[in-house]
Amino acid sequence: MSMDMVTASLRLGLVELNITFVFQLINTLILYLILKKFLFGPVTAFMQKRENDIKMQIQDAKNLDAEAQKLREAYEAKLALADDEGKDVVKKYTQRAENRAFEIVKTAEAEVDTMKLNAHRELERERVKAVNELKGQISELTILAASKVVEKDLNEADHKELINKFISEVGETQWQN
Amino acid sequence: MGSEGFGPRIAFYIGDIPVSETVTVTWLIIFVLGLFSILATRNLKKEPRGLQIIVETLVSTVNNLTKQNMGERNLAFAPFVGTLLLFIGISNIIGLLGFRPPTGDLNTTMCLSITTFVLTQFFGVKRKGIVNYSKGFLQPMPFLLPLNIIGELANPVSLGFRLFGNIVAGIIIMSLLYGALGGFTEMLLGITVPLFQAGVPAVLHIYFDMFAGLLQSFIFTMLTMVFISGAME
Repeated sequence: MSMDMVTASLRLGLVELNITFVFQLINTLILYLILKKFLFGPVTAFMQKRENDIKMQIQDAKNLDAEAQKLREAYEAKLALADDEGKDVVKKYTQRAENRAFEIVKTAEAEVDTMKLNAHRELERERVKAVNELKGQISELTILAASKVVEKDLNEADHKELINKFISEVGETQWQN
Repeated sequence: MGSEGFGPRIAFYIGDIPVSETVTVTWLIIFVLGLFSILATRNLKKEPRGLQIIVETLVSTVNNLTKQNMGERNLAFAPFVGTLLLFIGISNIIGLLGFRPPTGDLNTTMCLSITTFVLTQFFGVKRKGIVNYSKGFLQPMPFLLPLNIIGELANPVSLGFRLFGNIVAGIIIMSLLYGALGGFTEMLLGITVPLFQAGVPAVLHIYFDMFAGLLQSFIFTMLTMVFISGAME
């Protein structure tokens, strides 16, 4: 701006009230309305809303936290219960399995005993049978020998019983060996 | 009216009415602030970024200032307080851009201080009732009534002239300084280019425009809040 223009353009007085006052009054009002409508109003409302939102979110988070805490406690209690139950079940089944094993062993033992006894009896029977057979054969042989000796046909039926009696009385002890 | 002195220049006429540069610079400030308000608040996000941070800081500062000085229930004054702070603050530092500060015109400062005065009286009466409010002028002694009235009327005058005086003093000193620096250049170096005007006035600009300007806008705003809330208590 050149010096000429500065001096050329008219100036209003430095200390005086004039029409500018009215302009400035209107300008101030306009600026106030603009700033209120476009700056302070929306920004304050926005910040208030955000503050409320954040407060609400914090409250929600607190509620959720409390709920989660409650649920956690409940689950922990349930878990503890389940743990106990599981232990009980394991114990029960262990006990049962042990019992069963014991039973099985016992049954097996009993069976073995029975089998042993049977085997023993069988053996005894076989032995007795063998002894009896031997006895029969001996008696037959004896009769044969005797008949050869006496040259006389002994009545087998009559004497067999006699001889058997004799053998069983006399020979029993000998066969025992 | 004349072509000499430090008064505001006439920008143009509407009919016979002169429109001074005070008014046109004020229009510029209104335009810039309006544009800023609309642009900065156009798309407010929950997480503030960029311009929104500035706007939020500004608004919450003004809101807190109002709350502290006028109480929570008078928060509705915040836009008015913010308008004063922004308008006076920007007016005072706009000299840095080469414009004549609107606050360097008594019409502007008196307009603002009389607005404050009117608001003070209006809200004093509204809050207390006309009888109770008028009784306040008889305190502490009835014969102090004239003094109280003068004191009350002195508030807007001192408020307006304080701001005006500070700013216009800055304008005058700065223009004297520029003139002197131009003269010095011519005298010492013998050239018509005012070389010394570059750089040297920066320090005084920082004082008169930045420091005194922002300080005065703060003082004006604080006093306004004190007056209005004082009348309502």
